[in-house]
Amino acid sequence: MMLRGSIGHVDELFAPPGNEWQPVSPKLATMRRLVLLVLGLVVTALVAVLLAVATSALATVGWVVLAALLLAWSFLMIGRNARSWAYAERDEDLYIKHGVLFRRLVSVPYGRMQYVDVQAGPLDQAFKIANVHLHTASPSTTARIPGLNAEEAARLRDRLTSLGEAQAAGL
Amino acid sequence: MTEPTRDYKRLSPLTPVVRGSIFLLAVLGTAWRDLSRGELGFFAIVLLAVLILGATYGTASWLRTKYWIAGDELRVDTGVISRQSRRIRIDRLQGVDIVQPFVARLFGLAELKMDVAGGGKAEGSLAFLPLAEAQELKEVLLARRDAGKAEPLPEGEAAPPPQPERVLGRLDLGVLVMSLLLSGEFIATAVAVVAFVGVAGLAGSIGAAGGILPVAAGFGLVVVRRLSGFYNFTVSDTATGLQVRRGLLELNSQTIALGRVQGVVVSEPLLWRPFGWARLDVSVAGAQSGTSDDQKVQSTTVFPVGPRDQIRGLAQHVLRGLDLDLVPLTPPPPRSKWLAPISRLFLAAGHDGRLVVSQSGMLNRKTMAVPHRRVQSLRLYQGPLQRRLRLADIHVDSPPGPVRVRLALRDAATARAVLENLADQARAARAR
Repeated sequence: MMLRGSIGHVDELFAPPGNEWQPVSPKLATMRRLVLLVLGLVVTALVAVLLAVATSALATVGWVVLAALLLAWSFLMIGRNARSWAYAERDEDLYIKHGVLFRRLVSVPYGRMQYVDVQAGPLDQAFKIANVHLHTASPSTTARIPGLNAEEAARLRDRLTSLGEAQAAGL
Repeated sequence: MTEPTRDYKRLSPLTPVVRGSIFLLAVLGTAWRDLSRGELGFFAIVLLAVLILGATYGTASWLRTKYWIAGDELRVDTGVISRQSRRIRIDRLQGVDIVQPFVARLFGLAELKMDVAGGGKAEGSLAFLPLAEAQELKEVLLARRDAGKAEPLPEGEAAPPPQPERVLGRLDLGVLVMSLLLSGEFIATAVAVVAFVGVAGLAGSIGAAGGILPVAAGFGLVVVRRLSGFYNFTVSDTATGLQVRRGLLELNSQTIALGRVQGVVVSEPLLWRPFGWARLDVSVAGAQSGTSDDQKVQSTTVFPVGPRDQIRGLAQHVLRGLDLDLVPLTPPPPRSKWLAPISRLFLAAGHDGRLVVSQSGMLNRKTMAVPHRRVQSLRLYQGPLQRRLRLADIHVDSPPGPVRVRLALRDAATARAVLENLADQARAARAR
């Protein structure tokens, strides 16, 4: 399930492009873990109450143990997934990579950028983080960076916008 | 903007007749028996009232619709009850298409459809104009647009004399009919009809097999629509781009600006291959005028069926001299059989200094090509099984359209280098 072996060594396929990968804020993992714990505990408790009423105590205990294991596993996975998000600003393009099991890397030239979205939901705002989303003329360009510090997101947006204007290429 | 000149034009006075003709036929069809018996039934009276109202509205609408060119805008005033004034910036026009629905064609009328940058669907339309007037207005609009791009718009200058157009290909009716007979839809129809006859014969009653009929009719309709849509398909080279004309009942005329072509697809269905036939579609930036999928695909078809050499020549023309057959293609490594035992046999991909090409599909082999200078972004993907097998996919992102180049199941050891190489090529090509 966890494919430990393939994580240790550096994967050349997703190596940093020249300069280092910039990680996203560790607050992304914190936020997602908070959501996981709140939702997970509520669901676990509700199901546990139902089981306690309808079936035996054994089933209830079994469920709680199972749910706890699942939660703990998800807790770890969230950390790994959040750490997998990274980006690298280069002279003419932006690289973004993410994913642990399913790995993705995208390379977007600034000149192809049509517009940049910075979006932060209420929870993001509480954690002072934001998502930056780059759009090109292709809807399949999936250039999104979640969990950037709010100031970093604003800086990146401004830099991308000015570089995009400077290097704009016609369709 | 400039002062609106009062030198406006109107649509054809026959517009309300064409617009209402379908309704008129329905009314006549329904009320015919009553009318012929000399009695006006209640239903007929209601329909007649609606007809009179419709005619009045149609006439008023025609009276209120005016269009004129003011400065760098085409202005269209419409509306009977609430008035609208639409301004279309001529320099933002992506394309101008002429469409002739069947009834309009009987009256020699045409609809002018205008595609505007940024808008998902056709932004403006003028329906209906006399065909000659529509063609003239199209030429004027396109000439003005191109003049505005080259230099500041010369005021009041007439359109340059249109370059004589050169026919690049005309669809052979026999080939079209044959290709449709060899299409999956036709074979499905035939199978359905045979099944119908078989089941009806075995059961001894037609009712038993009734369920098959709608299936046959559905597939049959697709075939008939294609025949009528692609009838007399002609593609020619003009000053403003590639001109495509087609249609049996409804005539369509569309101009594809070569500068906006993002990539090409050459399709070779299995049953066409013995005859060496292929089909050519292109992705055009901002050409999403069709509402249904069917229209979307048709609107980008450069040639529906023809000999492979002709298709290759057309693709070369569309790609401005680049020949996709010259790009060396390599299959994925043999170990990809664990992931895609059959489809890997039909996968191939490669790139040269100008084009990136990928090929896939057993039943319908599709060869897709995108010039480096049209590449939007590049993506690398590797799932857990691909990692075990040291494979990875490279996606080349293009604007919405039929072209989707994907270098699937490539050797992971070189995939990153290929991606970097493609990115470098694209950067160099943009700078050129």
